[in-house]
Amino acid sequence: MMLRVREADGYAPIRDYAIVGDGRTAALIGLDGSVDWLCLPDFDSPSVLGRLLDAGKGGRLELTPVEPFQVTRRYRSGSNVLETTFETASGSARVSDAMTLLGTRLGPARELVRRVEGLSGTIRVRVVFEPRFDYGRRAARIAGGGSRFVASHRADAVSLSVWGAARTEVENGRVVGELVVAAGETAALSIGAAHAEPLVFSGRDEALDRLEATDRFWREWSATGTYEGPWQKAVVRSALTLKLLVYAPSGAIVAAPTSSLPEEIGGTRNWDYRYAWVRDACWTTAALLRLGYHDEVDAFFWWLMHTTRLTQPRLGVLYRVNGDPNVSEVTLDQLSGYRASRPVRIGNGARNQLQLDVYGSLLHAVWLYVDAGHAVSRDTAKEAAKIADWVVENWQRADAGIWETRSPPTHYTQSKAMCWVALDRACALADRGAIPDRSARWRTAADEIRSFVEERAFDEELGYVRAPALRESDASLLTLALLDWSSGADPRLITTVDGVRRQLARGPLVDRYRGQDGLEGDEGAFLTCSFWLVDALARTGRHGEAAELMDELVSLANDVGLYSEELDPASGAFLGNFPQALSHLALVNAAVSLAASESRP
Amino acid sequence: MTLWGALAGGLVGTVLLSTTVRLAQEIGVTRMDIPLLLGTAFTENRSRANLIGYGVHFVNGLVFSLVYAGVFEATGRAGWLFGAGLGLVHGLFAGGVLVNVLLPALHPRMGTSWTDASATPLLEPPGFLLLNYGRHTVLVTLLGHVAYGTIVGAFAAGL
Repeated sequence: MMLRVREADGYAPIRDYAIVGDGRTAALIGLDGSVDWLCLPDFDSPSVLGRLLDAGKGGRLELTPVEPFQVTRRYRSGSNVLETTFETASGSARVSDAMTLLGTRLGPARELVRRVEGLSGTIRVRVVFEPRFDYGRRAARIAGGGSRFVASHRADAVSLSVWGAARTEVENGRVVGELVVAAGETAALSIGAAHAEPLVFSGRDEALDRLEATDRFWREWSATGTYEGPWQKAVVRSALTLKLLVYAPSGAIVAAPTSSLPEEIGGTRNWDYRYAWVRDACWTTAALLRLGYHDEVDAFFWWLMHTTRLTQPRLGVLYRVNGDPNVSEVTLDQLSGYRASRPVRIGNGARNQLQLDVYGSLLHAVWLYVDAGHAVSRDTAKEAAKIADWVVENWQRADAGIWETRSPPTHYTQSKAMCWVALDRACALADRGAIPDRSARWRTAADEIRSFVEERAFDEELGYVRAPALRESDASLLTLALLDWSSGADPRLITTVDGVRRQLARGPLVDRYRGQDGLEGDEGAFLTCSFWLVDALARTGRHGEAAELMDELVSLANDVGLYSEELDPASGAFLGNFPQALSHLALVNAAVSLAASESRP
Repeated sequence: MTLWGALAGGLVGTVLLSTTVRLAQEIGVTRMDIPLLLGTAFTENRSRANLIGYGVHFVNGLVFSLVYAGVFEATGRAGWLFGAGLGLVHGLFAGGVLVNVLLPALHPRMGTSWTDASATPLLEPPGFLLLNYGRHTVLVTLLGHVAYGTIVGAFAAGL
């Protein structure tokens, strides 16, 4: 049981949000029942409900008890349908939320359904619908009355249908109303959206039927997963969350559905994560294969290889979910930012960086895909070989590294190691006959890279260091243990894992690095690094320590099993974009590694 | 105006259109891949899809040349300039409707704007004017179709 938490400034802790989605976009719903984030029609479209980034004029859909209340919340088992139960002095009610999946029947192009069931007594629930198009820039023109309202702006329109309201009316550019729900009664509301097409309105029964059909889909989908092992509940919740972050029309996975949730409250490290990063390709492919979701792997792999074609053999750092590599970064000065964390950015400037690690990630993904028994076409095989050739010619260059630092490029050790991974996997693929064989050339370059790392980037105390010129620990070097740089018994690898833990861990939480990165301010501990540490410990023969750490990390999720990008070790507050795909991917991969190490004699 | 001329123009025009798009792919201007898009409607195997896709594209090229011939017949005029104009309209129709709306609706392995989490299509949808496949795709497509129309018009008029 939790008490309502929303600060006087109008913002809720990031930890208090849950996500619902439909494979095109997602909504974040606070513990008090307010939908504070929804971009329409797609993840990377402008927000229509954006209170998350501006409590005053961002836009919201409140469905909150009028009286003081207590609240509990959960996802239905194996499902992405959210259930929030409010209890007040006069009564209690359960709100079920889902973005519905349409099937073949005519329905709204995007739909959020919220069902309110009275459980005891009588409860009064306030409804406030305040859409603000174009990231809060445009107050909506609202038409309609009674139980149906339409707000529109240029080619976009959003409808609100309310069933069972005591009263609803338009007031100062918003719809306000109150639901009075007695035990045994059901009220509901639905948000429908259309872009460049007519709105399709929901009927009450159809909307509620779709909510239940959506629940059935999620249960059936989660039941097709094959993972059985420790931390099962956390793994299944991660799988369901990752599926929500898949942009279904293309198969791409967004890093997170939000933009500019800060890495430091009040700070400037606020980035837009509503795009797909090539860096995540190997972790995505590994996790989906390990969970048994082969259709999703196929869709993702086809998207990855088709999308990167425009720039191959050079790879972009990130792409829009529709495949567009143009993701220019701009600031939105009209938004005050989450708890005054400015600027709010859309687009992502990292797209212009050189990041050598992405080549290792992509070729490792190709290797995993082929190793799992999937065939690649002749075109894809040729493309993979050309990418390996590009690595041979370019691994000596300085880059921005996996962490996308905005300081001058340098020779990051992890980038070099990932170039080695790229060439090593290319050799393995050629050995399988999966891609054209130029392995003599690739192996020679791979050996040179290994010599570079071993001779110039190793320290007896710290293990592998951030860069030859930066003699400090970097948690990204844990990936060397995860990507078979050497065997788990390699003393240098063990020294590195221990060095990262000693230098960068704060309790169970691990910082990315402590040195300079060309940006002002500080940040929280990076959750992915904590899960990588679990994975690395498991792979270097320390199963007990790994399992203990995993237990601690799993307990740090929010009440519905979700993780953001970062955590403040002092307060436990979530920081950064939410929910974060990479955190959940790392959780899944760590759990599977632990299960594997447990079964080893 | 000759029907055989239009058909011959359709064949040569399709060769030119296919080559233009492929060339644009090779130099990194677009991810538009006509044989892959058409062929994967029939098979998931990319190599086989390319073969089938080229076949379907050539059949389409011949069918459209008959439509052009019908327009030439109805208006009583043909020629490279008129053909080029028809090619421009054809290109806009292809990017705006045929490949943007109709192909995703019929294609069993392509996403659409209404594809949701219950489906896992293998091919991303092209988007309006095929812009999802690169910003210059629209130019390549229009150029290819204007060239196609020019050739069909010229051949139909007996050069």
